[in-house]
Amino acid sequence: MEGLAPIDAWALLAILAKAAGYAAALVAMGGPLFVAAFRSGPDDVLRLARRLSVVAAAIGLAVLALRFGVRSARISGMGLAGAVDPMMLSLVWDSPLGTAALWRGVGELLIVAVLIEGTLGLAVSLLGALVVAGSFTLIGHSLGDPRWLLAGLVGAHLLAAAFWVGALAPLHRAAGRTVGANLLHRFGTIASWTVPVLIVVGLTFAWLMIGSPGGLFGAAYGWTLIAKLVLVTGLLGLAARNRLRLVPALASGDPSGSDRLRRSIRKEIFAVTLILLVTATLTLVTTPPVNL
Amino acid sequence: MKCITLALAATLVSVTAALAHSKAEDTTPADGTTVETVAVIELRFDDPMRVTAIKVTGPDGDLDITRETGLNPVTAFRALPPDVIPAGAYTVDWRGLSADGHPMQGTFGFTVED
Repeated sequence: MEGLAPIDAWALLAILAKAAGYAAALVAMGGPLFVAAFRSGPDDVLRLARRLSVVAAAIGLAVLALRFGVRSARISGMGLAGAVDPMMLSLVWDSPLGTAALWRGVGELLIVAVLIEGTLGLAVSLLGALVVAGSFTLIGHSLGDPRWLLAGLVGAHLLAAAFWVGALAPLHRAAGRTVGANLLHRFGTIASWTVPVLIVVGLTFAWLMIGSPGGLFGAAYGWTLIAKLVLVTGLLGLAARNRLRLVPALASGDPSGSDRLRRSIRKEIFAVTLILLVTATLTLVTTPPVNL
Repeated sequence: MKCITLALAATLVSVTAALAHSKAEDTTPADGTTVETVAVIELRFDDPMRVTAIKVTGPDGDLDITRETGLNPVTAFRALPPDVIPAGAYTVDWRGLSADGHPMQGTFGFTVED
């Protein structure tokens, strides 16, 4: 298929590592965003959001190191020996991945401040989330033209996605009891603004990469994007059902409400995992039609 | 608001093939050709590419080539084959880093006739 790079074991490992890096970055960024949006939420839910954010930031740093090795192996064509080759590693460091990794690392370290309760800790960790979002605009397709529009779209897409993805585990905790319904309801209200932003900026970016309607069906990029859109549609279906039926059922004290909502949030987490894998595939081994 | 929308629309419409990936536009020898001799192996890219590895495999195994281009990003990469090349089919495999940080790779082939 046109625009599809050869996929060997190292490319597969690169896709897995990149998806893991996305998940870690989104959960790490999502923690401060969640705490900022729900400062008066239940203590245990906020504690979970903070801890997950910090664990994700630490995993994110480890994944960055792994990705350097994998990229080094891929460009060297020497396999494992290439992964630790100082010359190849220095070339990767000099590439946009080095710059992005530096900023992402700084952002993930700042996010650790979310553990400090109070305004200062939250402000520093929110800055960290912004820096991590910014790091994604320093590499890959967002370096194309028009540079600032593409970077703005990617940054907004990442922040809106992080608000959703980082909230899933805390919301799962909140859905465990009737009093959590208030928080879940407020999340739904905020998400009704952030999710349209997520989708509109994502589609705009995709349109800029595809160039023409025909590009959607001609090349690997288009087909991978279609797979992502199908998964996103499923995720939106789950989210709409939660907001319109399951959260009201939890609030009304329906005895099965909690279990059904928690099950649905676990399905959302699974859908997000698949979306991140497809996104990593899209950005790593397919070429946007405008570049073919 | 209307102005902003118009400005945004104008920006979107004026988008041309963005940078992002550089690819091997053409090669010497050209892919799939039959040649009498090979004076140089050349890869030309539409955007600067750092060629990090290149291997030429022929009937007697890997060909001992000499890189004329170093590891700096270039739009034209050159390597010199040995003076005498046995007849047969050759495959060139290369790997590189494009300007936007994407790892890239490509393959092309040619035949050296008797």
